[in-house]
Amino acid sequence: MHSASPAPRRAARPTFWKRLWAGRRAYLFLLPTFVLLGYFAYYPAYIAFTRAFTDWDGFNPPTFTGLENFRRALTDPAMGQASANVGLWIVLGLLLAVIPPLVVAELIFHLRGPRRQYAYRTLFVVPIVVPSLVLLLLWTTFYRTDGVLNQLLGSVGLGAWQRSWLADQDTALYALIFLGFPYVDAFYLLLLYAGLQSIPKDVLEAAKLDGAVGPRRVWTIDLPLLRPQLFLIAVLSVIGNAQYFLSPLVITSGGPGYATTVPALLMYNTAVKFGEYGYALSIAALLFVVIVLLTVVAQRVARAQGD
Amino acid sequence: MRPPRSLGELLRQGVLLILGLVSLFPIYFAVVNSFKNPVQYAQNLLNVPPSLHPENYLVAWRAVASPMVNSLVVTFTSVLFTLLLAVLSAYAFALMRFVGRRVLFALVFALLLIPDFLTLIPLYIQIKSLDLPNNYLSIILPTIAAGQAFAILVLKTAFENLPKEILEAARIDGASHAQILARVVVPMSVPVLISVAIIRLIPVWNEFILPSLVLDEAHRTLPVALVYFQGGGNSNPSTPNYGALMASYVLSAVPLVVLFAFLMRSYIEGLTSGAVKA
Repeated sequence: MHSASPAPRRAARPTFWKRLWAGRRAYLFLLPTFVLLGYFAYYPAYIAFTRAFTDWDGFNPPTFTGLENFRRALTDPAMGQASANVGLWIVLGLLLAVIPPLVVAELIFHLRGPRRQYAYRTLFVVPIVVPSLVLLLLWTTFYRTDGVLNQLLGSVGLGAWQRSWLADQDTALYALIFLGFPYVDAFYLLLLYAGLQSIPKDVLEAAKLDGAVGPRRVWTIDLPLLRPQLFLIAVLSVIGNAQYFLSPLVITSGGPGYATTVPALLMYNTAVKFGEYGYALSIAALLFVVIVLLTVVAQRVARAQGD
Repeated sequence: MRPPRSLGELLRQGVLLILGLVSLFPIYFAVVNSFKNPVQYAQNLLNVPPSLHPENYLVAWRAVASPMVNSLVVTFTSVLFTLLLAVLSAYAFALMRFVGRRVLFALVFALLLIPDFLTLIPLYIQIKSLDLPNNYLSIILPTIAAGQAFAILVLKTAFENLPKEILEAARIDGASHAQILARVVVPMSVPVLISVAIIRLIPVWNEFILPSLVLDEAHRTLPVALVYFQGGGNSNPSTPNYGALMASYVLSAVPLVVLFAFLMRSYIEGLTSGAVKA
């Protein structure tokens, strides 16, 4: 980050203060934003990083404990299970974030006529009126023993597969990851569709002359040209899933056992339920480091492919 | 609509129609089951019940009416002030010259690198220790802060792309920055302001975790109230009144349905243009 050090020359000094004074209206415009950001964004972030190295109950002054919290987090078996869970979630979540919206975007893009395309685009955006928490609660009922999913399995002769999806050790995590069929995120869909639209017409014409149609066109033209959008979606999905813990919190409380516990939920419970704020923040810091690393790796991969 | 001319077109439309209908299924499920009594619910989860039980909505309304008001207050105020503050800052970044502009903008940009979970716990403690005159503010203030980065980035780009001649003409006429902002920049940026507002509205309306921590019972927003209404949150074995539960889900979607009935087009256009460029 740049430091705002004024010019070192003595003669420049008064001009700097004059320039600062000249910008007073701008600072006034920025003041409300930065007051709020200071209190509700920068300071909490500072607390998060510094208190991760302390024993802190949230009220009394923290005592510095060095790396003790991190040692504890890295050796905690619950944290091990939680990390494995979130790893699986990130990988499967990435596939669900990329493939269904891409397939639907391609299908819509190849429909005849802008009106028909607009109609189908709207169809897939309409579900955003369902509050995300309501969707979670609805899927909770779908997964119940007497829910829609088991009834569906029973009616197609797969009664043997019926189970209590969220209470079963083996299926609870998958049930949460695969919640929300058919996974066509409205934002990702619109992003990819806009990307397809921005492919120049002459590129498509040339491809057609070369015989690149259908799946071959998707593979040789669309995917390479959609790389920026796909990269954005991949990064958003990985970052989003790494820190996501709403459905384990609301639906399963991380159970049965630790089957659906993820590090972010562990952090939440450690702080909110058990009051160990220092330890909770060390989990948050570890998670943050992992997310930054994943983002950097993704960027490297994207750049390497771009060359 | 013209009939499809080829097999491929027919196939594409068929797949899209099926997927589209499946993604609407939760809405269908909530609506039809909201009119059932417990017996009808146990018998069949998918049909339109032969006799309707609209009284479910009375039960649901009693549970969600005041959280609905709370959600409307919190969402409306948060989004309005998010815009207000972001407009001022974006104007300064886009159209004013001052010392430290790049550093301060980098600070705003850096916010995108700070994920929510990292600040959640410190934020929770800070808000609890803060003596606010009104409990609503304990969620409104952090929500305004959380919206700043995105709103400022989009608005700054939009303001920079306004025609320079008009801004120059206003300046020559002796208009102050505040006047230019209020009489020229804002009126010319209404579409992008609407886009930013509705894109921000959805996550604010849906927010659960921080509100569940900082709001007291009287100020609970809808998502929080729905989890309590459903019964503690866990997938508990006791059977709640599903009809009323479904009715509460339907009611909680009504404000967004109304909003999108008017603004769907600008939402789609906003997401595909403004957000992507940002």
